[in-house]
This record gives sequence, structure tokens and C-alpha cells, in this order.
Amino acid sequence: MSLPKDIYRTLEDIVGTENISDDPAILDSYRYSLAHTAIHLGPFYDTCTPRGAAVLMPGSTEEVQAIVKLCNKHKIKFKASSTFWSAQGYPSEDGAIQLDMRRMDRILDIDEKNMFAVIEPGVIGATLQAEAMKVGLNTHLPGSGCSCSILAGATSYFGSGPSNLYGGWHYDNLLGLEWVMPTGDILRTGSLGAGCGWFCGEGPGPSMKGVARGFLGAKGAMGVFTKCAVKLFAWPGPATLPTEGTIPAYRVKLPDNFKAYTVAFPSWKAWADAAYMIWDTGIGYLAHRQFNMFGRELKHAMVKILTDPTKTLSDLETLLEDPEVQRITEESMRDFQIILVGMTQRDIEWQDKAFDEILARTGGWKVEAMLEPEIHDWSMLYLIRLGHKNLNLVFGGSYDGCFGLLGAADFGAAHAEEASEFKKEWEKHGAVVQAGGDCMMGPIGGQGGGGTCLWENFTCFDPHDKESVEGTLALFDAATAMGIDRGWGVGMEKWNAVARGPDGKTTPKEERDRMHKDTPQPSMFRYQHKVREALNPNDLGDAYYETLED
Amino acid sequence: MDARRAGLTDIVGAAGVVDKPEMRNTFSLEHHLAAPLSPCFAVRPKNVNEVQQIVRWANETGTPLIPVSSGAPHFRGDTIPSVPEAVIVDLSSMKRILKIDRRNRLVLIEPGVIYGPLQQALREEGLRLISPLLPRKNKSVLAGLLEREPVMSPRYQWNLLEPLRSLEIVWGNGDVFFSGSGTFRGEEQADWDEGRVPLQGPGPGQLDYYKLVSAAQGSMGIVTWASVKCEVLPHAHKLFFVPSDRLEALIDFTYKLLKLRFGDELFIVNRTYLSYILPSSPTEIDVQREALPAWTVVVGISGGHMLADERIEAREEDIRDIAQQFGLKMVPALGSIAGSTLSDIIQQPSAQPYWKLRYKGGSQEIFFLTTLDKTPAFIDIVQATAQQEQYPAQDIGVYLQLVHQGVGCHCEFILPFDPHNPDDVKKTQALFYEASHALFRQGAYFSRPYGIWADMVYNADPKTTHVTQQMKDIFDPNRVMNPGKLCF
Amino acid sequence: MALEDFAAQADRCSQCSYCKWIPFDQVKSWRFAKNCPSIAYHNFNSYSARGRYAVTRSLLHGDSAYTDTVRDIAYTCLTCGACDVSCKVCRYNLDPLEMVRELKFRLVEDGQCLDEHLAVIRSLRSDQNTMQQPSSARGAWAEGLDVPLLPADKAEVLFHAGCRFSFDRSLHKTVRAAVTLLRGAGVDIGIMGDWEMCCAGRVYAMGYRDEFERMARANIAAWTRAGVKTVVTSCADGYHAFKRLYPELGSQIEVLHTVEYIARLIEQGRLAFRSEVPMTVTYHDPCHLGRQGEPYVPWDGVEKKIKGQIITYEPPKPRYNGAWGIYDPPREILRSIPGVELVEMERIREYSWCCGAGGGVREAYPEYSSWVASERIEEAKATGAEAMVSACPWCERNFMDAIDAKGETMQVYDIVDLVQRAIAGEA
Repeated sequence: MSLPKDIYRTLEDIVGTENISDDPAILDSYRYSLAHTAIHLGPFYDTCTPRGAAVLMPGSTEEVQAIVKLCNKHKIKFKASSTFWSAQGYPSEDGAIQLDMRRMDRILDIDEKNMFAVIEPGVIGATLQAEAMKVGLNTHLPGSGCSCSILAGATSYFGSGPSNLYGGWHYDNLLGLEWVMPTGDILRTGSLGAGCGWFCGEGPGPSMKGVARGFLGAKGAMGVFTKCAVKLFAWPGPATLPTEGTIPAYRVKLPDNFKAYTVAFPSWKAWADAAYMIWDTGIGYLAHRQFNMFGRELKHAMVKILTDPTKTLSDLETLLEDPEVQRITEESMRDFQIILVGMTQRDIEWQDKAFDEILARTGGWKVEAMLEPEIHDWSMLYLIRLGHKNLNLVFGGSYDGCFGLLGAADFGAAHAEEASEFKKEWEKHGAVVQAGGDCMMGPIGGQGGGGTCLWENFTCFDPHDKESVEGTLALFDAATAMGIDRGWGVGMEKWNAVARGPDGKTTPKEERDRMHKDTPQPSMFRYQHKVREALNPNDLGDAYYETLED
Repeated sequence: MDARRAGLTDIVGAAGVVDKPEMRNTFSLEHHLAAPLSPCFAVRPKNVNEVQQIVRWANETGTPLIPVSSGAPHFRGDTIPSVPEAVIVDLSSMKRILKIDRRNRLVLIEPGVIYGPLQQALREEGLRLISPLLPRKNKSVLAGLLEREPVMSPRYQWNLLEPLRSLEIVWGNGDVFFSGSGTFRGEEQADWDEGRVPLQGPGPGQLDYYKLVSAAQGSMGIVTWASVKCEVLPHAHKLFFVPSDRLEALIDFTYKLLKLRFGDELFIVNRTYLSYILPSSPTEIDVQREALPAWTVVVGISGGHMLADERIEAREEDIRDIAQQFGLKMVPALGSIAGSTLSDIIQQPSAQPYWKLRYKGGSQEIFFLTTLDKTPAFIDIVQATAQQEQYPAQDIGVYLQLVHQGVGCHCEFILPFDPHNPDDVKKTQALFYEASHALFRQGAYFSRPYGIWADMVYNADPKTTHVTQQMKDIFDPNRVMNPGKLCF
Repeated sequence: MALEDFAAQADRCSQCSYCKWIPFDQVKSWRFAKNCPSIAYHNFNSYSARGRYAVTRSLLHGDSAYTDTVRDIAYTCLTCGACDVSCKVCRYNLDPLEMVRELKFRLVEDGQCLDEHLAVIRSLRSDQNTMQQPSSARGAWAEGLDVPLLPADKAEVLFHAGCRFSFDRSLHKTVRAAVTLLRGAGVDIGIMGDWEMCCAGRVYAMGYRDEFERMARANIAAWTRAGVKTVVTSCADGYHAFKRLYPELGSQIEVLHTVEYIARLIEQGRLAFRSEVPMTVTYHDPCHLGRQGEPYVPWDGVEKKIKGQIITYEPPKPRYNGAWGIYDPPREILRSIPGVELVEMERIREYSWCCGAGGGVREAYPEYSSWVASERIEEAKATGAEAMVSACPWCERNFMDAIDAKGETMQVYDIVDLVQRAIAGEA
């Protein structure tokens, strides 16, 4: 569905000829294959998100505002995305205008003293981190990795990731915010709106930042966030990461105040005990169950491949037969990674000792094989920069997390084994990678300072293989049914089913209403509906902003 | 009147309804504008059902409601009716500590719970609450959290609302709602054992409801319980001082501690403020003030449940080294005032009489948010305005409380005055008014806009005002909740 | 291979955008974090490897058709391979560089050509060079060198000058120096003069596979006739063509870039530097010598799934990810020249930023090509270097032109120029 010529020309006047296109091939490169499903939707074989009516690349807040106002005038839906990592960033209906925020990619300020950065949507984690490190600071990186827009994570989705524990998740870190609202009006939250700078996003009085984002974010369905400030935190390391090694086995040797450990535990109870003790003790810079995403049975073999530039996936089977790899795999069954960073020498010594004490009290141990210098330095770099998140898709090209137990450490620990066993049985059908059932990964510290964990059970499959995709979908249906049956709720695999259906388009209203009414507190969607009506009267977003009419 | 009384009596019983309650407000920000209006009733609900019925009744009868959780005296004017015929919803009887969960470090409290008993109950479970500096003895913990009152320990403040988490809210429309993960109320012990607990503040979903009731001065709804994140009770604790004659000399040092997240308590006070918070008579304050350094960074170091003494030792040495790098000295006592003495004082609510009233019987506050580096300029403004208004500058207490892990700074001025001395009142009023405007013009962010500050901030930001009003229309469409406050 | 053979890859592309950035582990700043000139300049997603996979998918599904935009999307790819390197940090079963080449091949097969490229092809057909110059002028660069002229004369080692060095008069000094110093070190070297033919690597990168194969077979035959055992070239494009592409057509000849040979001679003590070259320089890795300079490994296999859905290959497929390109020899040479201080740019080795000359871009999109070069010059300037040194005439020419256009003061040298200075004692 193309735009009327006069509207196209007006948009062209706003952004310039070179920054707008409705060429079908261009538009098709702004569609997301729903066989991929990153961030929980599908999989649906051979299905893409709908084609947009045009793609625009605005270069300023003023341009965004002009576009949004024009959309309101002509009742055209629009959807902005910054780095297009997941299906959520793509329209759900034909004829929408897509805004690629890539050109707005400036780091406007890094306030070294007050520890925050002011950024535009196109700034990705890697570049912000690199610039922050130059002044002894670091940024939290969302779980999707450093390729993703920091602003997007901070404003429009969870923003949670491995460094939640010390760095705070981006929900916590979001300060002042500039928001081109769905009507085209601009709201600046907190101190920014008052003309007092970027340092505070709250208030005055009741905080309208709470309208801009809640726990989940509006996922691009409620206007466009054009600038924001995010809180940074200390980086007591070198100004530039001294990366060495042969691609892809890059690694980094950091000073002695940095320690990267993989630790494992005799039981899930002990695992959870350790998580609680880490929070109680206040140690740790970053903690994540990361490499288990390859699967309980494959993870150490994968570490061997990834740390050896001469190896490929073709070496996997041979490695799995290696008794030493088997021993380490067994040893690290219930594991997680943790990085301790001392702000001083005394600090790291104390943290290290306290961590040893935690291991002693819980019966946990450090996985020695992960302390081999090349593996240690590789995992340090991996976790600090989070620049290998595309390994999520290394096996067959696609993955999605099923289940998704989010809550206190005890919550997931109580059910992790059952969920794993369930998936392990399904792996036998052949549609998904056979990895040992437990491919659960997620932060040990799902919010600032700890207190929650996330278990996302990675399920890897081949998006080019119809049987694989459909078999995966069957597994996801079964996982959802099990989650509901056990009282864990709808798993991650279906979190977005309420917004987008198997055809890539908006889920029918009746279906959405049914799902929303089925939740413990349907009124939250009724309030969102009222907010949507108030702030987005022409309904120019999509169903990713979840609403339920009275 | 009788019909109203009857309606309220039906809900809470006769004993729960008080006619023409005495509000015992001290000098408030409102006073220079108009004489306070009196409420017609106070009503004391005992549970959420009664609160909900009261709110529904208010919607039906068009009665303004003013929720109040803390005991008197009230300072900021938010509990003074701005309209006639208002009913105070006195939540102080709802004072149960519903649950303490050591493992998840959560406590569930009702609005009437005050700091003293709560800290005691938490201590017994090995926990503590990070708290504001010397709250009133009868100050509601929940009200303080909702007011975004700054806490002494910025390192634990991951966002400006910490440690507040999930809430049960009765909105102005009468709807009961659970924010955060409040639907996990932990009514069954099995839920607590399995970690189904109300530990999230944000959400649920795509709105942040607890932000909509924060700093709302009771204008959006009534919170009937909250889960609050606790910290591990320190096994050991020390308090140190880093003094200087110049505030500027302390700022970079404080930034360094913030960056490293060293210092469990961390704030800066001037000599006047410090003298006020020590338990002294007015005469003693005068003497003590002269003996104190002009500015002091107060640094607390604590050791939790693991290797507590070693942690304290390492931190103490590190902070001492850092102080030295900045040409400063960390000392365990300021003259006769030992760190341990101040520590004992600030770990408790204020002794009676409330410390802000001790010096002259009355006190006016000016507070706002800024960044630490900008505070000297704001202090200059207040000092200059004091001189202009002939207010004794040496009486101005200054408290700089870093918030949100150091990104922001709560900058507070305490202006004592004698409420029985009209000249004193007049000068204080003038200073308050002029300084507030001058500070605002220079970029002071009045994030919690009580009284005259509300007009200042909302007039300057029409879009925020409009959106805030739109939210009010959703959650309190009949505008029964504390009308006349903020931009409502 | 055909474009259809990349349908699976198009489906399996993760849509992650890693292809737009240097490997994240190597990001040192905001300014120099991008790797793909094409997306950096044009911005639309379609101009990245990720986008080109999507466009390929769209074309294969019949969802879109050829337009000027589609042609631009394909032909603005410099085939520098930076996307390929970054993609393979995580992926073992995607080959975006191969895919985009195949896309260009398909466009050419379907007659979707650019006039600027066709002019090059005409020149190649008529005069065996890409420079639109008469073949009779090809050997002029070597006038007076008294070097064996193959095939009439015999030599073990053939020095292949390549089109750019042969016809770009201001660069003649470099190849003359290369031959002189190799001979001086006792290497049995000869040239083909006017009989030398284009390597066709550049037309391969434009999408003219058939032209490439024709020229490659002609060159292989000529070398065989001349009895050459080793081909040395100072041109990175030529090196890549001979080293990586020719073996697939049966070439078994040893291929060396001049920098490899010189580094070897220095190590063997056969080249001695007599004078200092006091200069702070930065080294630009040519794409075709660096990340694309890995040796060819024959493979004829099929996809094989293990563990249900893990995609591998039987037998194991060679992995070209830039790990084993020619990076150290030029740096060793520069470090061994007295007086030269080597300072590195942020984007080096396998994640180097392209010069902008490749893939037919210099010919068809001069403004964009110049911008790509300017970006590299900015990066070089940020190091404090007074000169950029490289090992490819295409890179050097593109830099020189961009410098001239912008009035910059940065100097550009081939590495051989500096070696020659140090040997000949020129200040």
C-alpha cells in the first residue's frame, strides 16, 4: 500500500529526498522474518512483518515531530525503530510509515562527574560504552547486546541485562527523556521539562516518565523517543579495551581488579542461595547465566570452539566425545558467570574473599577450565562488551526463549529443572537443537542491586526448514500450556502473541481481549487503553501497546 | 453535614469519624497566601475495603478527600485542604507490618507504619530500611517513600523511588489496583517460599503506576500497602567525618566516593545543619555551631553479613586514602562529637521535639533537586537573598543529600524562625518566597512541588502539566483526591 | 553457485546488524565504529549485508523487481568484506560477501548493468585492462629497467604490475622500485610488459563473473606457458584474484604480495636499510590483502545437520573470516625501517575501513567513493600520522584523489616507496 503522492512529497520535504523511500526492495529490507522470533514471537515459517508504505530516516526531533503531526493529519500509522533487533520494532499493519532512527546517532554529552550520558536513538551500546570508558565510566548493556540502541532499551523495552547487578537495568538508569508523543507534541520529563538539565526523569509531582514507560516499555507503539539521558557507572579499567587474539576468539587481559568466574553448584537450591548471598553481600559487577544458552550439554564444547579460531561447528561432535569436555560439562551443569570488579585493590581482595566464602557456604565451586587464561580473558571480554549476542542464533539461524521464569531466585530455581526436562523430551523430536533441555540463561540480578533472576530457556532451530519451524512452534505451544498449568504464566515464547499473530499482523481484537481478560489484573490494560485514548487519540501505534476497552 | 457523617459512619463506624479535626500544621508554605481551610471530618479506615468505600462515597457525594498517614505537625501544606468541606482520610490506624521476608529482603507495610517500630521489627529479622535523615517520630514510612523523600544512602538508590516496590492503590475513581508485582501479594506462605513475592516496583505492563502516585500529595489515590526493599542489617557500622572550611573542597571528594559507591551513608551538611540535628538546646546549638567546621561530609561504613569487619577495614582505609588525595582528612570525631554518637542519632527518627523546631520553634524548608556541582551557586543565592531580606544567614542549615547513586543531589535549606515573632515570620516568608523564585530561575528543580513551587514548575512546563492533568482525569475523574494541589 | 543457493542464508540471516559495525570487541570510539561504507553513506538498511540478504529474499520470492534503487543497493557494495568479518564473529553458516557477489552476478546476467561498468568491460575486452587504455601502453612503466620480459625471457618469479600501477603514471615509481629492490636482493624476477593482462578481480567484484573467468584462464595459461612458479604483485586486488579466486579455476601457482616477499627478504637479511626515514605513518590494510587475503582452501561438500538443527558441512567447510589475512608482514617492514614510527588507526587488520575504490564503486559512484576515502583519511589524521602507507595502488589512488579534492596535507605512500627510500638512502 503506497502513500498518496502529495503526502509522500510532504514527507520528502521534511526529511530530504535521500532520506525517504518507497521502493519495494527497500521496504522489504525493513520487514522482519517471523521465523526468527528474537524477543518472543512465533516462529511462523515464511512469514514477514507487513511491508511499510515508506521508510523515513529523520535527522532531528523537529523532523520527527513534523512527520508525526502529518501522520495525525492523515491518520497514518507509524512505527519507529532504532536498531531493528526484534519484531517489536516493525509495523503490524499494512500501510504504516516506518521511521529508521539511525541518523539520529549522536552522543550529545557525557557528564563525567554526574555520571550520565545524553544520547539519541541511534547510539548503540558498544559506542556509548567505548566513549564512557574513556572517562572511567561504563554503561549498562541490555541483554540483546551492544549492537542495540541504548535509548530503545531504556525507553521502550525491559532494558535488562547481565550488568543489572551493579549497573542497574535501564529502567533504573533512564533520566531525562524527550518524547515526541503520538500526537506530535513534545514532552520532556523531569528536570529536562523544567529546563534544569537531564539528571532527573521524575516529576514534577507524579512522574510522567511513568506514562512514557512502565516495566515493559511501549515497544514503539506510543510515539517516538528522540533523546534521553542514561545513568552510567564506574569503570575502573583501561580507557580502551585492550582487545587481543584472533577473530573470533578475541579476548582481553584486564588489570588484577577484574576477575571473571564461572561457578557451579550442587543443586538449584544452592544456586539460588548463592544468588541471594551475592545480593546480601553487595559484591559483583556483572552476573549472568550466559554460556548455558548453548545448552547444558553443549556449552563447554561451544566454549572450546569459540575460543579457538581454527574450529567451527563441524568440530562440535568430536569435542563432545572428548572425556575432558564431558567432565567439565558435567561439572558446570548448574552454573553462572560472575565478574567481580574492585574499585580499589582492597575492594577486589575483599570481594574475592567474600565470594569464596559464599561458595564455601553454598557448596559451590569455580569451574577451573574457565580459568585457563585464554578462556578467562575471552569470557571477560564477552561479558563486558556483550558483543557476541548474535551467538543466540549460531546453531540454526533462529532462537527464541521459552518459559521465561522471571522473579525471585527461588521462583525460577524451584521450576528450572522441570522446565528443562520438559524441553529435553521435546528436543528428541528433532525440530530443535538437542542441547540438553536446560538452555536457560539470564541475569543473576534482574534489577538494580539484585533481587530477581531470569530463566529464559533458549530454543534453537532452523528458520529455513519448515519442519523445524513448525516443530518449534509445537514445542512453544506445549511450553505455554505447561506454564499455564503450573501457574508460571504464559512463557516468553508467547509474550507478544497478544500483539501480533501468525500472519505477522495485529492479533484480532477479540483474541486480544480474551487474552487480556485472562490475566490476573485486566484493569492494567483498561488503564493503558485510557492512556492510549488520551495520548494517542488517532491510534497511530499498534497493539504492542496493550489495551482493553471497558 | 449529617448525611455525610452518616455515610462515613456506615463505612468505618462512629468511632472512626472525627468532627472538625485539629490539623496542627506548623508554618507551611501556604501561609503567606491564605489562611488554612479546615476539614469537616477526619475518617479512620481500618482496611482497604473501607478505604475503597470511602473513595466511592466521595465520588458519589463530590466530597474532597485528603489522605494523611503521618502524625502532626505537618510542614508542607499538602495535607491542608485547598477547598472547603474536605474529609481527611486518616490512615494512621492502618499500621500493620504485614510481612517481613528476610530472604527476599522485603517488608510489606500499611500506611500508618512509622519508622521506629518498623526498624525494630526489621532488626529482629536481620534487616534495616534505608531511611531519610531524622524523620519525625510519627512520620509514615510509606508517606515518606511516596513523597520521594531522599534517603541517607545514595548507593542503594537504584532509582529515585527506591526502596519503594509494589503497591496496593485505591485510585481516586475507587478502583483497587496492584502496582509492580503486587498481584503476588504473598497471601500464602507457599508463595513466599517459592519466591512469588511483590518485589517489583515498575509496572505492571507499560505504565508505571507507582510513579503516578509518587509526589502526588495524595491527589491521585490512596496507597493501602506497599512492599519495600530492605538492606541487610550491618553487623558493624562506623561513621566518619570529612570536614572543610569550603564546600567546594569537598565536592570532588564526594564525587569520587559516589563513583566508587563507597560510603553507606553519604551526605554533606553545613555547621548549622549539623548543630541542629544534634540533640541540643538552642543555647547549646549556638555554642556548638561555632565549634564545628563550616562543611562536613558524613560518611558511614557498614559491614553486612559476610566478612563485615574486613569490609569496614578495607573501606575505611580506602576512603581515608581518597580523602588524602583531595587534601582532606577523614576523622572519627568532630571535637566532642564522635561518629558513633551521630550514628546513633541518625539511625533513629528524630527525638522529640522534632529537630527542625528545636532552635526557634518554627522552621521553613526550601528543597529541590540539582547536581552536586551546582550546589555552591544555589547556596550563594540563598545567602544573598537572606542578606537582602535581613534574615540571619548563620541560621540557615544546609543539607546536601546525594540521590540516585549520585546522579542528583537533594539540596535543602532549613530556615528556623520564631513563630511567635511576627517580624521573624515576615522575614522568613520573604526569604522563602524570594529565594524560591531566584533558585528556580537559576535551574533548581522543584521535583516535589509543594505550595508555591507548584505554580512555578507547572507554569514553566505546560506540556507536563497537560499530561499530568490527563492522567488525573483517568485515575481521579471526579477530582475528589486532594483538589487544589499541584496542577489540579 | 546461483543466487537461489543463497535462499537458505537469506532466511537464516539473523537480522542482527552486526554487519554494520566492526567487531564489537574492537570498538574504541563512537567515531570509528562503523565498518560498512555502504550503509554508513546511504543509511537505509538495504545497503547493509543484512539488508542485501532481505533484498535478495524479496527478489527471489518475486516480491520486488529490478529498479534503479535495487541496482544501487547491489552496486554500491564495495565488496570490501567487512560485513563478512563481523557477521562471522558469531555465525558459522552465513557468507554475506559471497551472497552480495552472487547478487551482482545475477544482476549482470539479467542485464541490469551500469554504464560505467560496461565501459570498463569494453576496455577489458578490447585491451585487457580496466583503465580504458591501449594495451600497447601497458608495459611503459618498466621502461629502462632492464628486467626479463616474459615469456620471451625466462624467470622463476613473475612480477605482475596490474592495471592501476601500469597506467597510473604517478604510481609507476612504486612498481619500478619493487622490481628493482627484488632484483637487487637476488630474486629471479621478470615481467610481462605489454603482454600482461588484467587480473579481472575488479570486474569480478562488479559482478562480471564470465569476464573474470575468461581473463583468469588466459592469465593462468600465459603463466603456464612462461613457466612461472611464483607470481608477485604489489596490487592487493591482483593478489586476491590470484590467491583466492584463481585456484578455483585450477591455478596452482604460488602467489605472494610484495610485502610478503620483502618481509621475507628482511628476515633473511637480504635487504638492508641504509638510511633513516623519519616519518610517523599509519598503515591502511587493503581489504584484498588483509581480510580477503586468506589462502584458498578447496571444498566441495554439502550441508549437514547435527544435534537436530545445528548446521554444519560435510566435509567441514573452510571458514574465511579474515583471521589469517596478510597483516603482519607490512607492519614488520614498517617497524624495521629506521626512523619510521608506526601508529595504528582504530580500524585495522580484519576490521579495517575500506578505501572506497573497490567493487566498481570508484567507477560508478565517484562521490560516494571519495567520501569513503575521506572517512579513512580522517581516521588516519586522528592518529597524528603525517602519512598513510598502504600496499595497494587502488587504495593509494583513491586516498590521493580525496586528499587533493579536500586540500588535505596527508601524504600517501606505498610501503615499497618507504622501503626504497631506506635502501637507496633518499632522505
